[in-house]
Amino acid sequence: MTEKTVKYEEKEEYEMGILDRVSDRLIESFASFITLFRKDWKRKNQSRIKEWKLMAYSINRSPPTLLGLFIVIVYLFFGIFGPYLVTWPYDFFPVNYNVSSQLAHPGSSYFLNVTTIQNGYIIHYTTNVYYPLGSDTYGRDLLSILLAGARTALVLDIFIILIGPTMGIILGLISGYYGGKIDELIMRITDMFLAFPGLILAIALSAVLPGRIQSFLNAHVWAQTFVLKLFALHPRDVNNLGKLLAVFVALVIVWWPGYARVTRGSTLTEKENPYVEAARAIGLPKRTILFRHILPNIIGPILVMITMDFGGIILTEAGLSFLGLGAVPPIPDWGNLINQGSQYFPQAWWLVAFPGLVIITVVLGWNLLGDGLRDVLDPRTRRSLEFKLKKKTEGGEANA
Amino acid sequence: MPEPILEIKDLSVYFYTYAGVVKAIEKVSFDVYRGETLALVGETGCGKSVTSRAITKLIESPGKIVSGQVIYHRNDGSTVDLLKLNEEEIREIRGNEIAYIFQDPHSSLDPLYTIGYQIAESMEVHGRIKNIKEGIPKVISILREVLLPDPESRVKNYPHELSGGMKQRVVIGTGIANNPKILIADEPTTALDVTVQAQILELLNELKRKYNATVILITHNLGVVAETAQRVIVMYAGKVAEIGTVEQIFKNPLHPYTKGLLKAVPNPMIKVERLEAIPGTVPNLITPPGGCRFHPRCPFAKEICRKKVPELKEIEDGHFVACNLY
Amino acid sequence: MKPVLKVEGLKKYFPIKSLLRTIAWVKAVDGITLEIMSGETFGLVGESGCGKTTTGRTILRLIEPTEGKIIFKGKDVMSLKGKDLLWFRRNAQIMFQDPYSSLNPRQTVFNIIMEPVRFHGIEVNDPEEFVVKLLESVGLNEMHLYRYPHEFSGGQRQRIALARLMALKPEFIVLDEPTSALDVSVQANILNTLKELQSEYGFTYLFISHDLGVVKYMSHRIGVMYLGKLVEVGPSDRIFENPLHPYTQMLLSAIPVPDPELAQELKAKRKMVKGEPPSPINPPAGCRFHPRCPFAKDVCRKEEPPLVEVERDHYVACWLYAKS
Repeated sequence: MTEKTVKYEEKEEYEMGILDRVSDRLIESFASFITLFRKDWKRKNQSRIKEWKLMAYSINRSPPTLLGLFIVIVYLFFGIFGPYLVTWPYDFFPVNYNVSSQLAHPGSSYFLNVTTIQNGYIIHYTTNVYYPLGSDTYGRDLLSILLAGARTALVLDIFIILIGPTMGIILGLISGYYGGKIDELIMRITDMFLAFPGLILAIALSAVLPGRIQSFLNAHVWAQTFVLKLFALHPRDVNNLGKLLAVFVALVIVWWPGYARVTRGSTLTEKENPYVEAARAIGLPKRTILFRHILPNIIGPILVMITMDFGGIILTEAGLSFLGLGAVPPIPDWGNLINQGSQYFPQAWWLVAFPGLVIITVVLGWNLLGDGLRDVLDPRTRRSLEFKLKKKTEGGEANA
Repeated sequence: MPEPILEIKDLSVYFYTYAGVVKAIEKVSFDVYRGETLALVGETGCGKSVTSRAITKLIESPGKIVSGQVIYHRNDGSTVDLLKLNEEEIREIRGNEIAYIFQDPHSSLDPLYTIGYQIAESMEVHGRIKNIKEGIPKVISILREVLLPDPESRVKNYPHELSGGMKQRVVIGTGIANNPKILIADEPTTALDVTVQAQILELLNELKRKYNATVILITHNLGVVAETAQRVIVMYAGKVAEIGTVEQIFKNPLHPYTKGLLKAVPNPMIKVERLEAIPGTVPNLITPPGGCRFHPRCPFAKEICRKKVPELKEIEDGHFVACNLY
Repeated sequence: MKPVLKVEGLKKYFPIKSLLRTIAWVKAVDGITLEIMSGETFGLVGESGCGKTTTGRTILRLIEPTEGKIIFKGKDVMSLKGKDLLWFRRNAQIMFQDPYSSLNPRQTVFNIIMEPVRFHGIEVNDPEEFVVKLLESVGLNEMHLYRYPHEFSGGQRQRIALARLMALKPEFIVLDEPTSALDVSVQANILNTLKELQSEYGFTYLFISHDLGVVKYMSHRIGVMYLGKLVEVGPSDRIFENPLHPYTQMLLSAIPVPDPELAQELKAKRKMVKGEPPSPINPPAGCRFHPRCPFAKDVCRKEEPPLVEVERDHYVACWLYAKS
């Protein structure tokens, strides 16, 4: 009954660059790490590990993707550690304090008389402040605000993506698989939301919601502390949280319908596949089929969408805070920096140029990464990637 | 003495992919004689489709024609190596002197254009008609030749309005529109029902006679081969295993692979006690086995088969085999 | 021997909708009656549009039938719910044609095979060993346990699908063109495996295919379908030696035979092949085959012929044999 199992002498060696060795090492340590928690994980997932390595190789061979990856890693790094690495915390100069070094030029130094409150004591002292990129209208070091602003952007990014697209994906799955009236209902709701131009809806919501959110926060101290810690803000700025969170809610509401549509489309195609029918033939309930069989197979393009949206959210959010909605000073945010700068442009050009440059770079980084991911995840483009992999084979005519 | 119309010498095509270099065909050599129906037989991955496309340089990245010659003998006696032609020159030959018929009729026709347009297009490109509109009467006569019922009204139909068999007839129409010298049919009936298949094969035969063409038929169906072909080329894992006439191959198969293949086909006309399967699977062409590529599955494999790549040897008149047993 | 499966008057019509109204019906299956005995292979042949695939799926209730009775091991399948439906699912399984999309690309072989086992609550002492044994019984081995479907060839994937079926040891398996997408040599292997498993475990197969050679090799009895109806049913040897229905004759004469001398002989007899299988949306009146039939009479255009027994266990639906 058994076929003669034939073993070939397979020796595949690829031409490995340094990056490949690095990514290999990283992937293997990650695998070993997981094996600490789940014994046997490494053995059972050999194929998956090999897939990851191959994906890493193709990323390594695409300079734009690598650039994007690098930018994203820098962004993530400062998003997490930014507020703690700055020379001057964003609230070092209270906003309503008149500092003589407002709108300082890049590269200038000022000898300042500073009055601050520390531990309840009012302290006066003089200090030398160097502004590598200049200062804003409140005299704050632009570089520090830029780095701290990464945190605001990142937190908004993560939470909006966590809630918005997730909602959209679940609704899309249900809509696509069940069809019929449920599909109609969900799609009409999605249509309602999509009928509004996203930005306008976001603006409207950001104008209406702050009040309510603020009262909620005022009533629940734990919510206040949580949000403050998340955004690395000083308790002083509690009253501005309402506006910030309003933008968060607005963007979630604006963002989810797109995912619902896309997911529904993919679900419709995927569910025609025989393996879905096979799952039904086994008797599996619809729920299991949706999440164990269909979702993992359609997640590719959606993942790419998500990567692009990390950049898109930053852009939209910056646009909103530029208009004065969302993160208002003293909260560090790239958009409101440009807002300040727009009033003094072109004299204080650095207030527009540097935040603008940062936004462009970060969004570009995510886009490049997203593009690269798409090429890697789509099996069709992956196959046609021209690969110059040097092969060392055992015998055979390849070298003849 | 039959004269060759195509001489393929040492053709090799490699695909440079994500997973490695796939040696799709390696040093494939054979001749195609004028006026015959030559069948290119093999299973998935044997390289028959790649070979047929390489003839007119139809190979796209990440594939590359690595070496070889395809000598085409024109009617006037001159010869030309097709692989050495540039893009413009080879395009003149494609669809004109060497035409293709592909496997899946449902996707070989552009769904956005009428069938009349598509046939006329291939004629217009090669200068047989001045423009599409003027070509319609010619198109109608072609449709009549391929036995499409009601050609005058069908000319304006879109592909989706036709059945599978009809679509394949249209595809054949596109192929013969320019009176090709060589017609390369890649699995033309695999996607069709058996009754339709019989009719299409009959049609191909008729047209071949009428246009005095040479047909290269690619298929994995040995029944189709027995019915339509005069000579057969058996390919395995990117190399030619055996060449011979249809009688030689079916009555006296030499290569162990050919023998195995014949024993594995269920013939409905006789009582088959047991189908014999060939053990093992088709090899990975990124790391093909050393020596003879069939040796891991061959019941007659010897030591030498692992190391020496067998050359094509003529055993009887016109019957060649690439096997270390001979 | 008791029949494992009895199907009576099975119909499946698909509605064609325009806006919200139904303007026509695709009568994919239009009144099929058959019986399959325990341990036998019943082959269902026909060309595209004949409804054999739909029949297979409808019998398993993967598609809900429009009408008809399906009795599986004495139980009425249409009325099964809950636990009973699960029992049915476990004992009546299906194997698909396309090996490239019948396995979830994101599941390892181990999970693919264990999923139905876990779901049906079958107790297994050592899951890994259990799966390895199953893999070995279909010609694979433990190296393949944690690999993904795309790492396998078409033939191997069909074997994995087979192993998945074997895990449940179903009594009745619908094989929907299981080897049509495979190479000849691989096909032979799978067919032999199927036969061996049948003789070892006594499985009952409904073998659906358009390849007559394969069907003859595998089946004990054959049913020929045309446009949603059974036109001839009988022992497979008899169908080939003595095809009664003109369509069966046409079908047999059209098969390309892998023997050059025989092929030339048969080609001469092939003047019968005419036309194409029409669409099941508006089937011809009377006997559905009459537009292509060289023996069509007046009555064929008006009335549908009933299925009559012409020789032992060999039935045909044709006015050449039935009395009007």
